Amino acid sequence: MSLFGRQSKRDLHSLAAPYALDALEPHERARFEKHLRTCDRCTAEVRALSEDAVRLAWSTAAPAPLAMRDRVLAAVRNTPQEASPLGAAPPRPHHLPAHVWGTEPPPPRRRAPRMRPLFAPLATATAAAALVVASLFAVQATRTQDQLDTARAQSREIANILAAPDARATNERDARGRGIGVIASAKEGRAIVTLSGLGDLPSGRVHQLWLMRPDVQPRSLGLFQGDTPLVTSGMNDDATSLAVTVEPNGGSAQPTSQPIAQLALKSVGFGE
Amino acid sequence: MEADELLVRVAGGDQKAFEELYGLVSGPVFGLVRRVVRDPAQSEEVAQEVLLELWRSAGRFDPGRGSALSWILTLAHRRAVDRVRSARAATEREQREGMRAHHPAFDQVAEEVEAGLEREWVRHCLERLTSLQRQSVTLAYYDGYTYREVAEQLSLPLGTVKTRMRDGLTRLRECLGGVA
Repeated sequence: MSLFGRQSKRDLHSLAAPYALDALEPHERARFEKHLRTCDRCTAEVRALSEDAVRLAWSTAAPAPLAMRDRVLAAVRNTPQEASPLGAAPPRPHHLPAHVWGTEPPPPRRRAPRMRPLFAPLATATAAAALVVASLFAVQATRTQDQLDTARAQSREIANILAAPDARATNERDARGRGIGVIASAKEGRAIVTLSGLGDLPSGRVHQLWLMRPDVQPRSLGLFQGDTPLVTSGMNDDATSLAVTVEPNGGSAQPTSQPIAQLALKSVGFGE
Repeated sequence: MEADELLVRVAGGDQKAFEELYGLVSGPVFGLVRRVVRDPAQSEEVAQEVLLELWRSAGRFDPGRGSALSWILTLAHRRAVDRVRSARAATEREQREGMRAHHPAFDQVAEEVEAGLEREWVRHCLERLTSLQRQSVTLAYYDGYTYREVAEQLSLPLGTVKTRMRDGLTRLRECLGGVA
């Protein structure tokens, strides 16, 4: 028994290098990590070997695609951090496309956290867009059935837009935190638009969304209902920006006040 | 600002710090993921997930346990390996189902085009390892194989592969030495 015990411990020690190279199978990795908590020598060895492994990583550095930066930064603006109060996991909505991840934080780990691997067909929806949607549904999780039904219908629209090969996301906020977020497919002329930080409206007033194009009057894309995202189609590909104004209930044919938020559409593929 | 300090600020919700951190680490993260995952579209996706994961879980970084860059690249590597393994598992399923035959690429040492100093130096040091050390290390780290799979591919006992990996990494450390 003691011999077996020692043997098994030595076996565990010998896993330090495969562990540093991420070359263990999941069950071995878990077993070794458990062992690490009680083995200072292994911890020191793993740390040194991991630093060596990381040297192998540096030599592979390559410039990331430029568009990735916009997507990641836009997603960051829409993504709560784990530690924040908003980081609590909303119930996973069943109607979200399978590739929309991030609706729940990964299980706590001491370091190098992993998330569930993704098996879904990929390629189309960006992580950024997925995260915008995930945050929308975090809000909607607290609503009534009627509202959820509406949201569900909308989520199909959203899934369609996410599935467009050219779907891209962007988001802008002014110094006072007022802003517009959009996930759009320029090719299909469709978009999901969200508002943030605009505050409460006086009674009898609504937020109206406008499409701005060069040398043309603004065109209404619809009225916001509370903080529900607005799904719109028929966006012209020469559109330059979106604008939001405060209008009387029912909306206006043309804006009757200055925009309180604006968002340029160039980074999501319009106006090119 | 150093990555360590930036990561701590990011953990506090500082988006500007994240932008700066992005500038520092997006290249290494993307390059590493692409080296392991190979497929460009999937690489971009995994790299994005890793960078967002940095934002979401920056609070888990513990400066006492190593440098921020190591933490970040360790995370990136693990996610890349997870992806390439699930892709391989899917390929194997397809093969079993007779849908198509596909043999995974089997080149060990990077054939990268861009030649930075670090890259050249790592290559130089990899060449100074014994062939079994080099293959054990690179099949695992760059190609995402488990040590059991490496043992199978090289027809070596498991114990030998573990030792070669350890010796390979240690010898790399001695060779890479002072070059930062």
